[in-house]
Amino acid sequence: MVRRLLPLLAGLLMAGSVGAHGDHAQPGAAGPKVDYAKVWLEKQQNAPRLAVAATFDETGRLWLARVVGQQVFVSHSDDAGRSFSEAVAVNREPELISADGEARPQIAAIGQRIYVSWTQALPQPFAGHIRLAVSDDGGMSFGEPVTVNDDTRPITHRFNAMLADAQGVTLAWIDKRDGTGNPDYTGAAIYTARSTDGGRSFESNRKMADHSCECCRIAIAADTDGTPVALWRHIFGQNTRDFALARLDEPLRRASEDGWEIDACPHHGGALAIGRDGARHIAWFTGAEPSPGLHYRRIVGDTQTPPQRFGNLDAQAGHPQVAVHGRHVTLVWREYDGRHNLIRAMHSRDNGSRWSAPSTLTRTAGAADDPLLVSSRQALWLVWNTTANGLRTVKIKP
Amino acid sequence: MKRLIFLATLLLAGFAQADIRPYVAGSLKKIEGEHRGRPFILTFWSASCAHCPTELKALGELLRQHPKLNLVIVATDTPAEGPELQRLAQSYGLAAQAQWVFADAQPERLRYEIDRRWYGELPRTYFYDRQHRRDSRSGAIPVEQLERWAGEHVK
Repeated sequence: MVRRLLPLLAGLLMAGSVGAHGDHAQPGAAGPKVDYAKVWLEKQQNAPRLAVAATFDETGRLWLARVVGQQVFVSHSDDAGRSFSEAVAVNREPELISADGEARPQIAAIGQRIYVSWTQALPQPFAGHIRLAVSDDGGMSFGEPVTVNDDTRPITHRFNAMLADAQGVTLAWIDKRDGTGNPDYTGAAIYTARSTDGGRSFESNRKMADHSCECCRIAIAADTDGTPVALWRHIFGQNTRDFALARLDEPLRRASEDGWEIDACPHHGGALAIGRDGARHIAWFTGAEPSPGLHYRRIVGDTQTPPQRFGNLDAQAGHPQVAVHGRHVTLVWREYDGRHNLIRAMHSRDNGSRWSAPSTLTRTAGAADDPLLVSSRQALWLVWNTTANGLRTVKIKP
Repeated sequence: MKRLIFLATLLLAGFAQADIRPYVAGSLKKIEGEHRGRPFILTFWSASCAHCPTELKALGELLRQHPKLNLVIVATDTPAEGPELQRLAQSYGLAAQAQWVFADAQPERLRYEIDRRWYGELPRTYFYDRQHRRDSRSGAIPVEQLERWAGEHVK
């Protein structure tokens, strides 16, 4: 009568669910916490960990961070991804690492210094620590990882974003320290930390904004003066989950006015690129009527272009990336056509005013990570991790 | 007699703890087929979705008010988590409801079949009327709306 699932089926399984949906406080009052903790932990242990990080250094070498089991591994490629060096383990001591969908490791290569950050998943539901490890010898070895969040309770410090330059490294993440034990607090907060000595020491954590949405990746990019600028899904008013943009330590401005009021986890972060002219190019997803789907806009000072919708709504278009070089702007995103996961792209040659028709860059028949756009000095590349076809790098021709 | 009691116990156990079935391509057709000519509510949830407990609690309460309600719940987690998911559902008074759990490495494939305009947000609920025309809703649904639907569709 009771047809329980065979444990065998569990063994055959494969990838994770639609996504670890939340990065929220304890679920509703009636929620049996013990069971949640168990499911959470199992999910962390069994996640497929498809999310990778990639960057080019100034010599044109491609650096890759990927998670295998409970370790981050870094390797590099001098032929843009055709072949990679032997991978170096970043954390010698294994730990649970979030590396799926919106929860992603990050990598930056500045001269001989390689920064790698990730979120360590804790056994408590939705809890994590922001971790950073640094190599000073060109990625041959890494120092002991440090925990960057200075609130060390087992609560949400997750969805690490990172930006590094010759002056230092800045991390930003989603943090529930203000909302923990305070049921009236809406959502989470964006916290940042900055180190100017190569990650050896950090200034105190600083709060960038109260009331962020809880489970969307943060996008971060350097302004023309090097100051980090972040884009994240915010909670405006009671429950409107649209996007906000802020320079480090400056007040936020609303970046989208979709009006997506939803008691749910969208799990769709935005993308941000900043041109030499200071223009912010952003791409984001909303489920709000009358225009659900992906949108692009350019923000210059106090002016902004109207949101321009792109992507095929009937093919789950989502998880965009944007890049700008001169007046060339490129958008990539993923779609699913019923048989394949596709990476679609479109281009603008006039700073984002007019766009080419979308084209398909590549496809895979199996499970896939979200796309990454990484720039070398000469070209723009798509980096895409797939189950069936491994790591793909595709040069993007504007 | 003993055997009868044993069978009755089994039967009751069966009602108290419904099966959790693997949700794969084609499962939606199956669910719809099993409810042919009857209105029902189909809810997608996950153990790691913070807004889902509110929804499940409301559905549990709705079920208490309307025992004839047809309700199908589908977890977008993985079969490995099946037993825990069942326990969670049970804690919301949904033990006897039809339960399924996603069993595909590519959840996008399942979503594509369920609703091309569902972007993965949870909870996600479909209200089927008698003719199986359906309304979709994302996010936890206010109790009054659930009550209204049940008042109109559960006889």
